[in-house]
Formats: sequence, structure tokens, C-alpha cells
Amino acid sequence: MGQNSETQSAKRLNADLIVGIVSLGLAALVYFSTRELSKLGGVFVDYTLVALTVLALLTTAKGLVKPERIRFFESVVERNNVLVGICILLLYLIFLPLAGFLPASYAFYFCFNLYLADERFTTRNILSSAALTVLVVTAFYFIFHDFLEVPLPEGRWFG
Amino acid sequence: MFDFALTGLSQVLLPNHFLVLFIGVFMGIVFGALPGLTATMGLALLVPFTFTMSPTAGLIMLAGIYVGAMYGDAIPAILINTPGTPAAIATTFDGFPLAQKGMAQHGLVAAAVASSFGSLVANIVLAAAAPPLAEVSLKFGPPEYFWLGIFGLTIISTLSSGSPIKGFLAGSIGMILSAVGMADLGGDIRLTFGFPELQGGIELIVALIGFFCLPEILSSVIGQRRAAYAEKMTKPSLNVIWQVITALFRRPTLMLRSSIIGTVIGFAPGAGGNIASMVSYNEACRWDKHPEEYGKGTIKGVAASEAANSAMAPGSLIPLLTLGIPGSPPAAVILGALMLHGMRPGAELFTDYADITYSFIMALLVAAFLVTLIGSFGSFFFSRIINIPSRYLAPAIVFMTVLGSYAIRNNMLDVWIMFIFGIIGYVSNKLKFHPAPIVLGLILGPFVEEGLVQSMLAGKAAGSTFIYMVYRPISGVLIFLCIMSLLWPIFAALKAKHKQAGVDNPFSAEEKEGCNGSK
Repeated sequence: MGQNSETQSAKRLNADLIVGIVSLGLAALVYFSTRELSKLGGVFVDYTLVALTVLALLTTAKGLVKPERIRFFESVVERNNVLVGICILLLYLIFLPLAGFLPASYAFYFCFNLYLADERFTTRNILSSAALTVLVVTAFYFIFHDFLEVPLPEGRWFG
Repeated sequence: MFDFALTGLSQVLLPNHFLVLFIGVFMGIVFGALPGLTATMGLALLVPFTFTMSPTAGLIMLAGIYVGAMYGDAIPAILINTPGTPAAIATTFDGFPLAQKGMAQHGLVAAAVASSFGSLVANIVLAAAAPPLAEVSLKFGPPEYFWLGIFGLTIISTLSSGSPIKGFLAGSIGMILSAVGMADLGGDIRLTFGFPELQGGIELIVALIGFFCLPEILSSVIGQRRAAYAEKMTKPSLNVIWQVITALFRRPTLMLRSSIIGTVIGFAPGAGGNIASMVSYNEACRWDKHPEEYGKGTIKGVAASEAANSAMAPGSLIPLLTLGIPGSPPAAVILGALMLHGMRPGAELFTDYADITYSFIMALLVAAFLVTLIGSFGSFFFSRIINIPSRYLAPAIVFMTVLGSYAIRNNMLDVWIMFIFGIIGYVSNKLKFHPAPIVLGLILGPFVEEGLVQSMLAGKAAGSTFIYMVYRPISGVLIFLCIMSLLWPIFAALKAKHKQAGVDNPFSAEEKEGCNGSK
């Protein structure tokens, strides 16, 4: 029982310590990137940097003395879902400037829609996803591109 | 003045003008509701259509677009936690939790009614007292903007009363992010890390979409595989409209205070609806007998934010119409439209062009009523959007986030920044390091910086920066408000302790909790 709870507490992350250390890292990055600014351009950054450093140190200290522990993912399934979701989004953003809005969005909507479905690869699901993809993406294209005249990302491959 | 107002009203109610106004309000709602498309963009895109109209009809249409957009931004804020424009940031705090509880219609109706009320109050002020208030707006100098920014930052103590240190740390990170790009004074290029596109800074709407919208999709839809975007289905009914209207009008102080805050912040040139809504939300929460309800889904929070940001719109027209100083970016577009129709802002507008000017002011007023009508009855349709299964809705929301981020500057880097902020928002939510203060820092950073640097320059010339920044009447009031705002959590805690000592139930949660329900 005791061993079990120990294992559980070991899986929990020290949120304050992570936030404090990352903030200190950010403060260091900003400090070394802003040393050559003029007085007018640097005064605000310098004052803010002091506040950021002090608050980051206080948060780190709290993380060492009285930490707030959290469990990042509730389950392995949740972790895998989020990672796959991020990968799909990432691929969409990578292909958007290459393939252009329409082809990349057709592919993205179809894949994402199938991924979120309970029964993924049934014929009915695939056909309904494909039909919906054409409908939604084309509607978005006409509303934004033709009606509101908002420029959409153009692709290098298909223009 | 009263005669002109009546003539203006009769002009607006002419069938052709009323139709133009209705179209304007509808278009404004569409522009406000689509993340990335702002009221400014809507006005700028539709100004050319008014060229062929008479000046009266053209300005009536612009009034409709402006008022419609100030309400429209609340729709995505409530339904998908994404403010349509930065002015609706505080609407998300209670609007989205309401939608999650299956009460999206309550939030939408509250937003429409409060928007109309705020707009109504500000229009009355605009019609009755524009010239004297414009003179006050001229008294806002760099020190006042600096202290206004600092006052805005003290809201962090409300937003994060659970852990003020982490809240202020997030605020500092937001201020650092606001420094990215070219410094307004000094011209230094800061923190662009070799990306020339970043010289214009980080776009606020990109940060809002990233920090608020994407984490929700990653967490609920992708992570937890929730079938619908909201935890509970919304069932719209006619009763809700009446319930919300009566509930809000039982709180005249809340509505009036929020509207006045919006009007005052509106007529200070440069201070936008985002600051108005945040300050108003903070004050609503602070003075409420039940601050623990805020942040968990209460129509009071939605009303406070929406009344203020809608009151800001007519407020920002006060310095525009009287002095030619636009109080907000949309007001600048309206200035352009006025000049294109051959009208110069100033006293002439209220004498030579009084009929057109008052038609415009009355159009703002009538548009406010149209917003209640369209918003309340439109809530039947809008609130059902989140009942759509998330496998269909989520990819469409991702399109909106991508298009919204891209549309601002036609730049893929903004889309990548949105994505990175989305991941940071997701991680920081998990670490209980909420990103709302980061966005607040990003909003207020430029104000504070400009006020600080200009005050330092002017103060140096005047002999003492300290005296220049502190010994000014409006600065004095703002400093007092800053101190009060910072000390308020301590007062509230002492008051609660004092009350607990005298009541039978010492474990009453209501008195122990702060705003946003944080203990």
C-alpha cells in the first residue's frame, strides 16, 4: 500500500519547480538577447526582467519548500491521443504552405475527422468523412476567399 | 440638441436606412464572430461600399457594423473559448464555463443584452456630453497611460488569487512577449531572433487564439475524446431570454458600473475594449457579494465584460467626433469615412453637419437594440453550434484558428506562433499556470512601456520624472486605485475572517473564496 502510494507520488510532477526553472531560463535568454539595446529601447525590458527574475526565483523557492504536485496526463491513452493530435496538427501546418489551403485542408479534415471517430475505418465512416470533408472545406474556402476576400495560404506545389 | 437627436432618429427609422443598419449589424456580428476578423477589418472592408451611398446612409451602415462587431466577438468567446476580437477576452472567463454547463444560450443572451445596455449608456453620454468629455480626454498624458496600464496589471491579483506569485510571473512573461519587435521609442529591434516578420511584434489575436482555443481542443476533444465540445448539451428555450433579461435588470449597479467603465476607457484615446472588459470584469468580481461565482460560469461575468467593451465603442467616438482624435482603431476607420464624405471632425460636426452626425449617433443607439433582438433570437441557432459532435466541429474550429491567425498579416509565422502558444497554453494549464495573465501582460505591456518611456523623457525635461509621473490629478486617482486593487485581497480576507467570527457556520465556503472561485 505504502509502496503503491510512493510510486504514485513519484509520477507526480513538481509544477512550481518546472514553472520556476523554465521562467528563469526565459529570463536568461531575454537578458543575453537584449544587452545591446539603447536606453529608450531597453528600459522597459530591464524593469520587466527584474520582476520576471524575482518572481521566477520565488516560484522556484516555493517549488523546493512547498511544491504543488500535479499529474500531467490522467492516463496513457490520454497522452497518446494528445501526441497523435499534435502530430496531425503539425503535419497540417507543414503541408499548408507547400500544398496550399484546399489540398492540405481536405487531407487534414478527412484524417482528423476519422481520427476522432469511434469506429474509424468502416466503409460508411470513410465515405461520410470524405463527403463532409469536401462540403466543409469547400464552404470555408468560398466564404473566406470569395465572399470575405480574405487571402488564404497559397501552396508552392499547387499554387 | 434634442431636436437634432429626434431628427436623427427619424432618419435612422426610414425603411431604406433601417435596412442598411440591419445589414450593417448583421455583417458586424459576422466579422466579430470570426476569430481573426476584427471590427476594424470589417469597417475597412465595407467602407468602399458606402461611397455610393449618401453620407447619412453610409455612416448608418458603419455604425451598425461597429456595434454588431462589438457583440459578435462574444459568440466564439462563449461557445469555443476563443474571443472573436481581443475585446472579448474577459467574456471567455465566464462565458465558456456557462457553455460547458449547457447554458450557452444564457451566456449569449446576457452578452447581447449587456452589449446593448453598455452601448445605450455610452451613446447617451456621447449625445449629451461629448465636447466637455473630449477636453478631459486631452488630459490623458504618458503618466496617466502608464498608471492605467499598471492598474490593469493589478487585475492579475483577481485572475489568480489562488497563487498571486505565479499570476504576476505569467504577467511578466506577457510583458516580455509584448516587447518583441521594434520599440516604438528608440526603434530598437528586440527579441525577433532573426525573424524579420516579428519586427511588427506578436499579434494579440494570434496569442488569444493560441492560449485559449487550441488548449481546449487538445485537452477535451483530443485528450479526453469528449463526444461534444460542451460537457452538457444546450437546450435553447424562449424562457431563457426572459430569465436572463430580468436577472440582469435586477443588477442595475453592475450594468451601469460596467457601462461607465467602458465609456471612460473608450474616451481615453488608445485604450481599447480589451482593457475596458478586463477592468470591468475585475470590478464586477471585486464588488460582488458572491465573488466565488466568477470564473465558474455566471451571466454577471459575461455582462460585466460585454457591457464595458460595447460601451467603449461609442466612448471612443467622443474624442473622434469632437477633436478628430480616434480613440480606437475602428474609430480611425470611421474618421477616414467621415473625411471621405467631406466631413471634418470638430465643432462643425455638431453645427453644420448636425443632422448627419446625430443620425450616426442615433444609428449607434438603434443598432444597440438590434443587437439585443438579433443576439437573443440568434442564440437559438448559435447555442446549438456546440451540440455538433466534436469530430465534425473540432476540425472546423482548427480551420478558424489557422485562418484567423493567417488573415491578420497574411503570414505563416503567425500561424506557427499560434500553434506554439497553443502547446504552451496546454502545458501551462496542466501545470496550473493559467495563461490569462500572460495575455493581460501582452495587452498592457505596450501601454506601460510607452507611458514609462515618454514620462521619463518628459520628466527629465521637467526636472523630475517622479514628480511628473505622480503629482497629477488623474495619476493620483489611478495610483490610489492601483493600491486599493492590490490590497483588496487582503481586505477581503480580513472581512471574511471578521464575518466568520460572528456567524454560526465558520466553514461557509462562500466567504473564503476569492474571485474566479480560487481560495
